Amino acid sequence: MTTTTAVANDIVGTKRGRWPVGLLLVAAPVFLVGWMIIWPIISAIGRTVWLPNEGGERSFSLETYAFFFSDQYSLNNLWLTLWTTGVCALILILICLPISLYLRFAKGRLAAYVQGLAIFPMFVPSIILSYAIIRVLGPNGTVDLLLNSVGLPKIRSPYLTPWGPVIGLVWDNIPLTVLILLSGLGAVSNQSIEAARDVGAGRWALLWHIILPRISNSVLVAVSFTVLGIFSSFTLPYVLGPAAPEMMGPFMQRTFRDVNDPTMAITQAVIAFGFCIVFGLFYVRSVAKNRAA
Amino acid sequence: MKRRAFMLSVGGAAAGMVLLPRMAFAEAGKIDWYTSSDQNILDFWTNVVKPKFEAANPGVTLNLVDAGDGPGNIAIGERALAALSTNSDPQADYFESYDPRLPDGAIDAGLFVNMKEAGLSNYSKVNPLAIDNEYSLPYRGSQVLLAYDTTKLDPANVPKTWADLVAWIKANPGQFIYNRPNKGGSGGNFVRRAIYEANGKDPAKFTTSNFAELGETALPPAWDILKDITPALFDGGAYTSGNTQSIQLLGQSAVTMIPAWSDQALSAIKQGVLPETTGLVQLSDLALPGGFSRSTVLSNGVNKDASLKLADFILTEEIQSAVLTELGGFPGVSWDYISADLREQFKDVIPTTIPSFPGGDWEKAINEGWYRNVAPNVDPNS
Repeated sequence: MTTTTAVANDIVGTKRGRWPVGLLLVAAPVFLVGWMIIWPIISAIGRTVWLPNEGGERSFSLETYAFFFSDQYSLNNLWLTLWTTGVCALILILICLPISLYLRFAKGRLAAYVQGLAIFPMFVPSIILSYAIIRVLGPNGTVDLLLNSVGLPKIRSPYLTPWGPVIGLVWDNIPLTVLILLSGLGAVSNQSIEAARDVGAGRWALLWHIILPRISNSVLVAVSFTVLGIFSSFTLPYVLGPAAPEMMGPFMQRTFRDVNDPTMAITQAVIAFGFCIVFGLFYVRSVAKNRAA
Repeated sequence: MKRRAFMLSVGGAAAGMVLLPRMAFAEAGKIDWYTSSDQNILDFWTNVVKPKFEAANPGVTLNLVDAGDGPGNIAIGERALAALSTNSDPQADYFESYDPRLPDGAIDAGLFVNMKEAGLSNYSKVNPLAIDNEYSLPYRGSQVLLAYDTTKLDPANVPKTWADLVAWIKANPGQFIYNRPNKGGSGGNFVRRAIYEANGKDPAKFTTSNFAELGETALPPAWDILKDITPALFDGGAYTSGNTQSIQLLGQSAVTMIPAWSDQALSAIKQGVLPETTGLVQLSDLALPGGFSRSTVLSNGVNKDASLKLADFILTEEIQSAVLTELGGFPGVSWDYISADLREQFKDVIPTTIPSFPGGDWEKAINEGWYRNVAPNVDPNS
């Protein structure tokens, strides 16, 4: 064990005197993050708690946040967003884990096709996906026509209900989730699986005791990534979802543009950010844990 | 290994596309034109206006850009205003349909050309009723009417008044849908028609400046009218998110009747998006509101002079007649400047008045009030 660490240290080069190069390399991204992400966050929070009064003078006030959390309409929108995000994350893991397990262990031409199919949604713009879903799953859409042709009743269409965006968002996020889980499964060595099989472990025992503990980090990363994307999604909930309650993305856009209330829109954005940062921290923690290990 | 190579190349290609430089400079002689209107308007410009204008003005080309929706257009307007203050190139010359009051202060800053004083030879022909202010040029009008499926609803029994319409909607639950008022004019003007209904059917009552006095009393009764029909709408109270989606539902025969823009419905029928059995009807007690689309020209655009030529060109009899015949809209010029045969041919569909609801504060209050009062009025347990 000690020898490998020594070798690794040699490769990375921990000798003193080299450190400015490393710092220079990270300086540009750190500067960009500070300028384009951290600063806008600080400025947004400042603009929502430092409000002008009637005379135009600015003073500290939590009025907009108090309004948001006492307004049933806004809370319903927040709740719908959390519900959609949670349901999507759960369905995504349930769908993508079997796909990635298959891709990890299967070999041959079929696996390549399955992988291509799983990555395909990445290349479909969400606006096209939305209209396709209306055509296929919408009222009197393709599914209804097929059911009708064999004498079955129509489906209850998810279009314009909260399930519409769920279906679209799950489909849209499959590639990212599969790729992350697949990279995690790369860390599960064939030897450990064969060793477990040799001592008589069944399929479920393998999954539960050998594979899942190894990829729990990847699952966490996949969930945080999809949650971050879904929480702030716009197009799919806008086209496929109900008029009210709306998800935070369309809600913010409408407050900003159609109701012309930028302060309230920024407040909604800060609240959305507050929820997202929790998942961001999960991700950062798991990355840090990985590096320490 | 093949799979990995595939993933690598796909990832590389995707990264490459993101990194491609996205530089654009306005070009002299190429008018950067933006619209927020629906596809039929863009088609009209691509197939009718652009070839005619370019033939009449050699050396000038039109770059037609779809800005998506109103906010998309305003974003370009904001960029132009920012460019004006730094004296740089706004990369935009012409808005097909735009309210020069946005972004705030744009008129005072001198962002838009004053059309009245720009020396347009055809300005005097513009229908005075259509003029909103001097910085925008009305060139086409459209109204919202009801589009319906004649195979399911006999044209003889089609509702002709608001009261009949409400009675029909309630008698045929699930067969009517309108879109969210902020996401397209067909639903927006249906909601505004309900506001007229709740306030004595008098369009003259509403002006851009009287929201402060009238707003609080005028809107709630309209929400009650709309809440009353909610349970009888498609899916027990669903609202599409745009004009096109409403037409899609009518086209898929999921509903029997929708409010639709006259021009959009006509071109949808022509293209087969809506079947030929689609009927169109306007309410006779008071028409569903509509309005004029007004173009603006940026004063700091590289091609300002060419853009003004274009503004003058769209008011010529040739284009104004095409607005009637090709687009199914109403001309922006007075009817006297339309050829006599066309006047005769369209005299039945030419509305004597199109009520036009004021924007500004009214619009904000309608966009917010409808969402808070009408949209959530669906019992989640039903």
